[in-house]
Amino acid sequence: MTGRRVARTRRRRVALRVTGRVLFWLLIAVLLVYLLFPFYWALVSALKTQTELIRTPATLWPENPVLANFRSVLGNDRFVRALGVSTLVASSVTLLSLLVGAVAGYALGKMRFQGRGASLYVILAMTMFPQIAVLAGLYAVIRLLGMPAVPSMILSYMLFTLPFTVWVLTSFFKGLPDSLLQAAQVDGATLLQAFRHVLLPLTAPALVTTGLLAFIQAWNEYLFALTFTVIDPPARTVPVAIALFTGEIARQEPFGEIMAAAVIVTIPLVLLVLIFQQRIVAGLTAGAVKG
Amino acid sequence: MRRTLSLIVMLVLAGAVAGAQTVVTVAAGAVGQELELTRAAAERYMKLHPDVTVNVLETPDLSDNRLGLYLQMFEAKSSDVDVFQIDVIWPGDLAEHFVDLYDYGARDVAKEHFPAIIENNTVDGRLIGVPWFTDAGLLYYRTDLLEKYGFSGPPTTWAELTDMAKTIQDGERAAGNPDFWGFVWQGNSYEGLTCDALEWVASYGGGSIVSPDGTITINNDKAIAAIDEAASWVGTISPNGVTSFGEEEARNMWQAGNAAFMRNWPYAYSLGNADDSVIKGKFDVNPLPAGPGGKPAATLGGWQLAVSKYSKNPAAAADVALFLASYDEQKIRAVEGSLNPTIMALYQDPDVLAAVPFFGSLYDVFTNAVARPSTATAPDYAAVSRAFYSAVHSVLTGQATAADAVAEIEADVEDITGFPTGQP
Amino acid sequence: MQDAPEAPTPPAALPLDGEGGGGRGRPKKNGVSRLMRLERRTAYLLLLPTFLVLAVIAAYPFGQVVYSSLTDAKFASSQPTSFVGLDNYRTLFAMTIRRLPPKLDESGAPVLVDGKVRYESAVSVLPRSPRRYRQVFQFGLLGHRYVLGAVSADFVRAVWDTVVFTVVAVALETILGMIIALTLSSEFRGRGAMRAAMLVPWAVITVVSARIWEWMLQPTRAGLFNALGSYLGLSEGRTDFFGNPTLQLPSMIMMDVWKTTPFMALLLLAGLATIPAEYAEAAKVDGAGPLRRFFRITLPLLTPTLAVALIFRTLDSLRVFDIFQVVLGNQRYSMASFAQDMLISRRDMGLSSAASVTIFVIIFVFALLYVRSMKVDT
Repeated sequence: MTGRRVARTRRRRVALRVTGRVLFWLLIAVLLVYLLFPFYWALVSALKTQTELIRTPATLWPENPVLANFRSVLGNDRFVRALGVSTLVASSVTLLSLLVGAVAGYALGKMRFQGRGASLYVILAMTMFPQIAVLAGLYAVIRLLGMPAVPSMILSYMLFTLPFTVWVLTSFFKGLPDSLLQAAQVDGATLLQAFRHVLLPLTAPALVTTGLLAFIQAWNEYLFALTFTVIDPPARTVPVAIALFTGEIARQEPFGEIMAAAVIVTIPLVLLVLIFQQRIVAGLTAGAVKG
Repeated sequence: MRRTLSLIVMLVLAGAVAGAQTVVTVAAGAVGQELELTRAAAERYMKLHPDVTVNVLETPDLSDNRLGLYLQMFEAKSSDVDVFQIDVIWPGDLAEHFVDLYDYGARDVAKEHFPAIIENNTVDGRLIGVPWFTDAGLLYYRTDLLEKYGFSGPPTTWAELTDMAKTIQDGERAAGNPDFWGFVWQGNSYEGLTCDALEWVASYGGGSIVSPDGTITINNDKAIAAIDEAASWVGTISPNGVTSFGEEEARNMWQAGNAAFMRNWPYAYSLGNADDSVIKGKFDVNPLPAGPGGKPAATLGGWQLAVSKYSKNPAAAADVALFLASYDEQKIRAVEGSLNPTIMALYQDPDVLAAVPFFGSLYDVFTNAVARPSTATAPDYAAVSRAFYSAVHSVLTGQATAADAVAEIEADVEDITGFPTGQP
Repeated sequence: MQDAPEAPTPPAALPLDGEGGGGRGRPKKNGVSRLMRLERRTAYLLLLPTFLVLAVIAAYPFGQVVYSSLTDAKFASSQPTSFVGLDNYRTLFAMTIRRLPPKLDESGAPVLVDGKVRYESAVSVLPRSPRRYRQVFQFGLLGHRYVLGAVSADFVRAVWDTVVFTVVAVALETILGMIIALTLSSEFRGRGAMRAAMLVPWAVITVVSARIWEWMLQPTRAGLFNALGSYLGLSEGRTDFFGNPTLQLPSMIMMDVWKTTPFMALLLLAGLATIPAEYAEAAKVDGAGPLRRFFRITLPLLTPTLAVALIFRTLDSLRVFDIFQVVLGNQRYSMASFAQDMLISRRDMGLSSAASVTIFVIIFVFALLYVRSMKVDT
């Protein structure tokens, strides 16, 4: 090719790359707006007064932002206590689910035995009934065992976090090459040692992912929490506390305060994800696979 | 020596008192001010009865959520809650779970309350709940707009209301407020629609769905005319979205100054007069209009206190309930919380009238309020109401004609209750 | 330019493929079968905690639901319960199709309104005893008009609505989730923050997010969508998103897709992270374009994760309850909100349980379909 044509091709390639980058960042911007806008709306609503909230047409930013809603929510010690309870319940559910789910996932993903397929379906079946159907039966079991509110919530939430954890971890364990396992066993490790030192670190991404999703799912649950904590106000979780937000007068709904609570509650969850998100894409450590 | 002795005596006494402590748990509303008032009342009771501890629990304010919660507890025959705050439409359906308050001394106080409510709360001769506070549907109207468009007073018939609403709506829209509508009310498919629709039907002389003696009266021309008229409002003087409106949605539009008339419960009165409200001082209330040849009708609302059959201390619980609903307690709630009392004498009490002047005009509304047929159709009122409001809703959304809908309601209620049909 | 290298055979990582991911066939010697027995015992031991949890929280409630679906139990009532067999199921699924005759005037000629024939109302045509059939919908066929009636018209409609909702919502979530996951798996500044932002919709409490969307979709200009719509001249600012039957499901789908796309995206992102980078590098070196790389390498390797994500999202969508109950209430039911309404307002525990068992069966069928079809793919 002549020098001019080379230059033109090079310019075209540069132009393509630049357009590519611009489009990429445009895509990021669109996605950010789509994901964050309703949350932005909640934040804005939390800063508005009750009068401005019902005004037409709706405004994108409050004329006179007020912190009254945030102040009232944070000053509500029932809500603050609920934050603590929710954290306790969600963390316990997540840890338990990961623990139980990891060992079950290892068995189902890497071992051969009778009833493997059936077990997977039975575990999946745990989440196939709608919540309202199992509520009455669960409530009866809880009362029979005399379980206080917090443990009963922790146990009940496993109903939907455990199958999910088991299936995802089974899939991940299965996807890990057997060569690793066999190599470790050749080196003299027992099954359990192989599990702890080889497989577990490699499944960190899967553990973090399911852990995050399970945590948030447990955090969000409302129906079971409401029923189990009606007689135990200190054990109420955040969704129940928010549902019990009311205005000063019956039937009034304090939308601004509910939005303030939503904002306050979401921020620690986002921080949690920020801390752990690197682990999600940690990927396979170089060298372990190539061996 | 003497000091140690008295200390020991005090400890022993305290131990005796603590050992004999009765705990009564009250499940009440979660509403800010209401809850505070209930807690204060509980404190007063505990001072008078030091051997009783009263716990006040909040439950969700939305009636349906509360009902679901209560039902779970009744299914489990739980004795965790002794006193329940129940809606005016629940005594019939939930009668089997509550004790007869007449067995616990309610006979003397019953005559102080509005007879309509006591009758509503009596199932098979048993007083299921003592009335606590009451509610009735009212017509809110903008005094400034009525004056601006030359109307002498609030409408007394639905036809008048329709005309006034149209005139004001057209005028306000022309003046530059495209979000203005004439009349807002509760049109969503829920119990609130039963309240509104019952008012239309009853004010036309079309009966109250099921008469107190157990006849299904809904299928008549007057009821059809009433529902037809309401359906004609949707999209003309009421926004299309009124079929999704509950109490709060209607109040939000009204309080933003975007409606000339509103049908709602008394709670919106003080909220409308809040300091930062756009309509402060520019509105008033009136009994709802009537249909042609009919009388104004307001649906009876309100809450009662009932004592659970599974309670471990029914006598103590009944005492707490009757205390909370007594004259003095209701007076405090009226003055401090603007909660409409159920004791008739309180509507002439000077302190109450000084604090809440418009209660005086409400007295007639409450004495003439229409009760929903919850007691007549017990224990299936929820299903009857559901049949009624879903059929009316389908007329409002244009999916059915009023004549068809009313026939459906009749057939449905017949299936549910087995009652005979008849005319109002 | 050479073809892109053959997509490597993806590891059979779907949980139910084959029989356990253990090593290749072991020679059958006495010592080895002892190993197999040890393996089996270890497996059972490892599964014990899971089944223990199952036994405590699932056995009784599930059994109770199935049992009460065969009775006429009333919720929170002292009415005696009797066994009724499959009666509740018959009530739920009893359907019939009747023809609607045209409305005739006195002379026997069909009544015409605006040139179209008017038909009798469905109430007059559908059977009333021993059970009432209600209209589900009307349709025209070969010049005649028919009405599909059902004893539980609300339930039949709920099943249809829920399935449609599920199919559309899951499809949208998957596509959107895939786009987000692919975007986030490439290197760029602020990637970590973006990943945190991605989870915000999932982190907002469900009932609260329903209220946020409700507020944004208000039928007046106090709601954002109507305000924007009228500002941009697209509408009058009076669109009733939740009252207009045509707009109800799309609004629900929009709300649900927003909330649950992060779930898909996060799972797919984690799945993408386990794909060794060498495969994509090799393909790039061989000159394959990004689209080709995606379909021949990335997607097949992602299938196991995708399958699990799809199963659970579909499962959750079929069980959808919160948003339907909070927003649509009694206007339109999902299968689960129908079951709840039966339980709380009609107190018909038998019917509600039968509806729940139906949900269970439908979900089970979907799960089976997924496993079968995904297996065929790999």
